[in-house]
Amino acid sequence: MTVRHPITPEQRHSAIVDHIVADLRPVRPRLSVGLRLALWLIVDLIVAAWVTAHSRADLSSMLHRPDYLLELLFFGGAATLAAHLALRSAVPGLALSKGETGLTLTLALAGIWLLTRVPIKPDYPLDTFVRTGLPCAFGTTLFATAPWIGLAWAVARNAPLRGFISGMLVGGGAMLFSFAVMRVECPVDEPLHLFTWHVAPAVLLIMVSTFIGGWLLRFRPSLKLTPAHS
Amino acid sequence: MKHAEGTDDRAEQSLRRADLMARLQRGDAEACRALLNDIGPSVRAFLRRRIAGAEDLDDVYQEVLLGLYEARHSYQPGRPLEPWLFAIARNIAIDYSRRRWSRARWEELSAEPPEAIAETSPEPQPDLQEALASLPKVQREAFTMLKLDGLSLDHAAARAGTSVGAMKLRAHRAYKALRDLIGGGK
Repeated sequence: MTVRHPITPEQRHSAIVDHIVADLRPVRPRLSVGLRLALWLIVDLIVAAWVTAHSRADLSSMLHRPDYLLELLFFGGAATLAAHLALRSAVPGLALSKGETGLTLTLALAGIWLLTRVPIKPDYPLDTFVRTGLPCAFGTTLFATAPWIGLAWAVARNAPLRGFISGMLVGGGAMLFSFAVMRVECPVDEPLHLFTWHVAPAVLLIMVSTFIGGWLLRFRPSLKLTPAHS
Repeated sequence: MKHAEGTDDRAEQSLRRADLMARLQRGDAEACRALLNDIGPSVRAFLRRRIAGAEDLDDVYQEVLLGLYEARHSYQPGRPLEPWLFAIARNIAIDYSRRRWSRARWEELSAEPPEAIAETSPEPQPDLQEALASLPKVQREAFTMLKLDGLSLDHAAARAGTSVGAMKLRAHRAYKALRDLIGGGK
């Protein structure tokens, strides 16, 4: 799209309007934030159902423990709120509520605090530590993949103006969900294992997602124009 | 009383704009024209507070109108238009200022004039025109537009039909070659 250089601002405005009108095509408005969040949760439920079917042997007994249930609830709630914020961040003019942001952080931190309820085992043999840990780091990444792609796609189809923030929230939503799912899948409750092989990869991947967001998700108008003055 | 009337007018204007935007999304050319004409003065006033210089203001104004058009799918019908509109306008204005700042920085960094190098060098120097003539055409063109004609990178790139990045690269190579030619490779 090339815009010529009329002399007055009014003429210039008319020229731009003419070009836009000439290019005008109908578009379908994007689904509402709530509906897109519901679709994302369906993807999450599918992943969670698959993981539950292949979960730790003691899951039924663990589900009777209130602290374990609270932990899952906190991480699941934080993931849903982060995804909601990510979707809101992609709609220009929709503010990110401080209350919702605060609640997301509080839930995530409360969940992490609950991880420390089991005492650390200092006599953990290193090879066992690594052997049991690596699959968990891999699982944390793997189970976040579908939620991350789904959420990033939903965000990118809108017009996210602050790519880094959108990327961080997309990563937060996907990783918090994956973290909750891994608590169902992994039978180890020892904090050193959880912080090294679950929390650390999740934090690292949220950072990666933040950078990807700034680079790829951000809305950049691509219509070309000639400068008004040349 | 007047305040209440003003608020009513603004609410009515906002509803009308939201309706025009919804019609624009459906491809209604008349609504598109009416909306752009209606928001034009508000957008210009909004940008005037953020962008210094009439030329820059005109450029950003164009970018904003095109950006609004391109982001039209992201407007959710039924919501007020103004927060959506001014969020995009603010973002484009910030981007523009950032680009301009980094361009100014780059131009400042690469502003070492070959003439100055020539003046301080004790050896006999070739004429600038001669040195320029020995450059490849695209490099000569880049140097002439940026340093002799005083065009901005955007304008020079548009005139040469290339990207700003490519124009920077051509200019950088031209400076380097001229420095080697005039300064004897020092």
